[in-house]
Amino acid sequence: MEAVLKNLMSTAELLAVAAQSDVVSQWDKQTVNRAFHWAQYCEHLFSRFHNKPSVRRVMEKQLQLTNHSLRVAFPGYTGVSFSDLSRCQHLLLVGMLNNPELPFSIMKILFDATPVNTKNSEFQDVTGLCSHIIQCKSACKVLSPLTDLSGVGADAEVQGGMLIERMGALLSESTEACQTEHFLDSILQGYEGAAELFCMVIAAALLTPKNSAAESVSQDFVMNWLQKKPSVLQHMCLALPIALLMDLTKRHEKFRDTYCDLLKKWASDMEYNISDGVWVHTSTNTTMSFYKLTERFLALFEACPSLRDDMEKELNAFKISDGDFDVRGLSVWGDLLSALNK
Amino acid sequence: MSQLQSMIQQKQTSSPLVNVQEMQFWLDKAVVWSQADSPDTQKDTCLHLSRLKEFLQELLAHIHAMSSTSETMKRLPFLGQFLGRLCWNSFVTADDTSRKLLLQCLWGLYSEHPSNPLERKANQWIRKVLCQLATEEDHVAVQELMKRVGIPPKEYHLKVLRKMVALLQKSIGNGCSCLGNVNERCSCDHILATSEACVPLVTCPEAAPLIGALLQQPATCVRAAISEDFLHTLSSAYSREGLLLEEQAIVCLWYHSLSSLEEAVVSLLESVVTVTGSTPENLEQQVAQSVLPKACAQHFSIFLVTNDIFRSVLKQAEENESVKSLIQTFTSCFLKELALLQPQKQVSLKTFFPQSPQSLIVPLLTLPSEMPREAWRHHMNWLSGSLQRLIEEEEEGDGDSSSSTRGHHKIFESWFLLVQCGYWVQVTVQLLVMSGPEDCDLLLWLLTFYHHPTNRGHHRALQLVRAKEAWDHLRSLFMVLAGPFPVDHLQSLVTLLSPQPQQPSLSSLLILNLLVSFAVFFQQSLKRSTEILLTVVDKTGLVDEAVCILHSLGLRLNERSCLSSDAIRVHLRIKAFLNTLTHMHGA
Repeated sequence: MEAVLKNLMSTAELLAVAAQSDVVSQWDKQTVNRAFHWAQYCEHLFSRFHNKPSVRRVMEKQLQLTNHSLRVAFPGYTGVSFSDLSRCQHLLLVGMLNNPELPFSIMKILFDATPVNTKNSEFQDVTGLCSHIIQCKSACKVLSPLTDLSGVGADAEVQGGMLIERMGALLSESTEACQTEHFLDSILQGYEGAAELFCMVIAAALLTPKNSAAESVSQDFVMNWLQKKPSVLQHMCLALPIALLMDLTKRHEKFRDTYCDLLKKWASDMEYNISDGVWVHTSTNTTMSFYKLTERFLALFEACPSLRDDMEKELNAFKISDGDFDVRGLSVWGDLLSALNK
Repeated sequence: MSQLQSMIQQKQTSSPLVNVQEMQFWLDKAVVWSQADSPDTQKDTCLHLSRLKEFLQELLAHIHAMSSTSETMKRLPFLGQFLGRLCWNSFVTADDTSRKLLLQCLWGLYSEHPSNPLERKANQWIRKVLCQLATEEDHVAVQELMKRVGIPPKEYHLKVLRKMVALLQKSIGNGCSCLGNVNERCSCDHILATSEACVPLVTCPEAAPLIGALLQQPATCVRAAISEDFLHTLSSAYSREGLLLEEQAIVCLWYHSLSSLEEAVVSLLESVVTVTGSTPENLEQQVAQSVLPKACAQHFSIFLVTNDIFRSVLKQAEENESVKSLIQTFTSCFLKELALLQPQKQVSLKTFFPQSPQSLIVPLLTLPSEMPREAWRHHMNWLSGSLQRLIEEEEEGDGDSSSSTRGHHKIFESWFLLVQCGYWVQVTVQLLVMSGPEDCDLLLWLLTFYHHPTNRGHHRALQLVRAKEAWDHLRSLFMVLAGPFPVDHLQSLVTLLSPQPQQPSLSSLLILNLLVSFAVFFQQSLKRSTEILLTVVDKTGLVDEAVCILHSLGLRLNERSCLSSDAIRVHLRIKAFLNTLTHMHGA
C-alpha cells in the first residue's frame, strides 16, 4: 500500500509539472510515453479502488497532502481529486497542451495524422493521440445531422447510459440517498441553459435496456428524483417527441401516472375563447393547443389501451361535474371526449 | 543574358507560389462552409474534398519553400484565416489526408526560433488552435457531465461515434419501406445523404461497419443510390492504402464500382505475371485471397467483367504460361465458390459464358473428379471431336472475309474456354501415356490445338505430325524396361525440344508435359524414369518448366483426392522427381 501511495503522489506531481513547470521543455517522446503510462496506472487505481471506501479514504488523504505542497510550489494550481483519477490521461494531455514550454516536436508527435491501429485499446505510444481524438470528434459532427432524425440522438443516449452507469456505482457504494440525489442535482445544474438536451439525456437514461438489477434500481432512483422536480418533469413532457414519451409511459408506470395527471392539468387550465371559438391555454408559458392535447391523449390510448376506459370514465365524471351539457365550448372535458371519440 | 537571368529568378521565386486566384477561391469556399451548417454546404464540402487535398498539398509545398513564416504571411496574408476556418470544419478534420495536410501546414508556419512579434504571435495561435482542437468541447454541459461521471472525453466521443454508426447501420439495413412507389418519400433518400457524409470517413476504422452496410444495403428501391463520389473515394482508398474492409463489403464495392473491380483484377494479374517461380499452390492461395472468385460466383456481372479482362490479356499474350495458369486456377476457384452457393442463389452456368460455344460449356466445366475415370477417354474423344469439327468449319470459311472475323472469334472463344478448363488438358496428357497408336489421334489433336490455337501459316497439320513424333519417341523410350537407352529416340526428342531454325516448331511445353506425364504415369521403374527425365531436361535446359509442371500435376491429383495405391505411387514418384530436379538445380 505504501508503494501505491508513493506512486500516486508521484503521478499527482507529474500532472502538476506537466501543466505548470518549464521542465517540460526538456521532455522527449520517451518521457511523454512514460508520463502517459503513469496516468494510465492511476486510472487503473481508480477503477480498482473507487468502491473500496477504506482504501479510497487513504488515497484521498494522500492526494490532499500532495496537492497542498504542490500549491506551494505552483501558486494557483488546483490539484487532483480522487475522482479526477478516472480521467488522468486526459488531465495530463490538457495540462501539457496548455503549457507553453512543451516542445513543439512533442506537439507534432501527438497530432501525427498517420492512421493508427485503434484495435488495441490499451495505448502503447502517444503518437497520433490527438489526431485520433480530432478524427473521432469530427466524425461525430459529420454523422450527427443524420442520426438526429429519430429517438433521443446518439449523444444523449451515450450520456444517459453514462449517467445510469455512474448511478449504479454510487448506489452500490451504499452512499446515502441524499448524496446520490445531490449528484443528480449537480448534473442538472451542469445542463443549465441546455434544458432540451437534459430532457433527452434523462429520457435516454430511463430507456436504457435493463441488463442488470443495478440498472433497474438506478432508473427507479432517477424516476423518484424526477418526481421531486415537477418543473423538470413538466418540461420533459412538453419538449420530448410523442414517440419518446410513449416509450417512457410503457417502461415506467410512475412516469405514466405523472404524464396522465399533467394531461388532465393542461386540459383543466384551458378556457374557451368565444370570439375565435377555440380552447386556449391560460398559462402563457405553455404552448399546448386543444388539438395537440387531443393528439397526446390519443397517442397515450394507443400506447396503453388498458388506460382508455378508466381515463374516459374520469373525463366523463369531470364533464358531469361541469353540468354534463352536450354543447360545444361549455366544458373542456365534454369537448375533449367528443374529440377523442370522433 | 540579364533578361534570361531575371527570367530564371522570376521562375525561382514564383514557382512555389500558390496561385492568388486559387487561394481566393478556396478562402471563399472556407468562409461559405463555416457560415452555414446546412446539408447543401456539407455536400459541397464533401464534393470538393479531393480538390481541397490537392490544394493543401500545393500550399504545404509553398510554405516549405518560403524562408520564414513572416515571408509566407506577407505573400499569403489570408493563409492564417483560411487554415483556421478549415480547422473548424468537421468534414475536413474528419478526413485522414485532409487533416494530416492541414496540420502539416500549421506546423510549417510554426517558427522554432521566432524573430519578430508576428512570428511569436503565430506560434501562440498555432498552439492555441491545436489545444482547442484536441481538448475543447462544444457543450459545456457535456463537459460537466463527463467530469462528474468520470469519463474521459476520448472515450465519450468514441462511444458516441460507435453509437451513431450502429444507429445508421441499423436504419440502412432495414431496407426500403415505400414498396416501389417512386413518388413517395422513403427512408432510402437517407442512403444517398449518408453515403455522401461518409466520403471523409472511408478510412476511419470506427465507421467501417457503416461503410459495409452502405455497400451491402438491399437495393430494392430506385432511391437507394449510393453517392458516386463515395464509391470513388472508397475504391481509391482501398487500392492505395490497403483499406481494411470486410470480404462481403469488398464484393459489393466491386459490384457498384467498375473501376475498382478493374483495378482489383489488373492488380491480381500484375502480381502473378511479375512474380516468377511461384508454385501452383501459392497461385491458388493468391487467387482465393483476392476474393475475386467468390465475387464472381455471387454476381455474374463481376464474372463477365473479370473474364473480359482475362480475354483481352490472353489475346495479347497467348503464349504466356503464367497468364494461362492464372486463368485456369481462377476458373477452378470460381467453380468451387459457385458450388458453395445455396442452390436458390445459383445462376445457370451458361449465363456466365455467353460467348462460348454452348455445346461445350457443360462438358468442359464439369470437373474430372465429377466423372468416373473410365469415362474420361470417351469424354475427351468426344470433346476433341466436337472442337475439331467446330474449328474446321470456321477455318474452312476463312476465305470469305466477311465471316472470317466472326469465325476467328468463335475459334478464340472455344480455345479460351479450353484454357479456362485446363484440367481437361492435363487429363488428356495423362490419357496419352496410356494410349496406343490406334487411339491417340484425337487426344493429340486436342493437345496441339491447346498449345497452337491460331493455326498460323496453316501449320497445324505439320504440328500434329511433330506431336505424334514426340509421342512415338517417348513411348519407345519408356517401353524399354532394361538395358541401354534407345539413343536415337532420346536424341530425336532432344532435337524436337531444342529451338529450331525452321518453322514451325512444336511448343516445347507440349512435349515437356508429355514427358513429365510419361515419367509419372508409365509403368516404368522409378530409376529409369528419373534417368530419362533428367537427361532430357538437362540437355534442353528446361528444369524450371519441368518443376512447375510437376507441381501443378501434384496439386491437381490432390484435388481429385483418390487414395488408391496407384495414386500413392504416383505421388511418391512426383515427390522423387521434384527432389532430384531441385537438387540438380541447386548444384
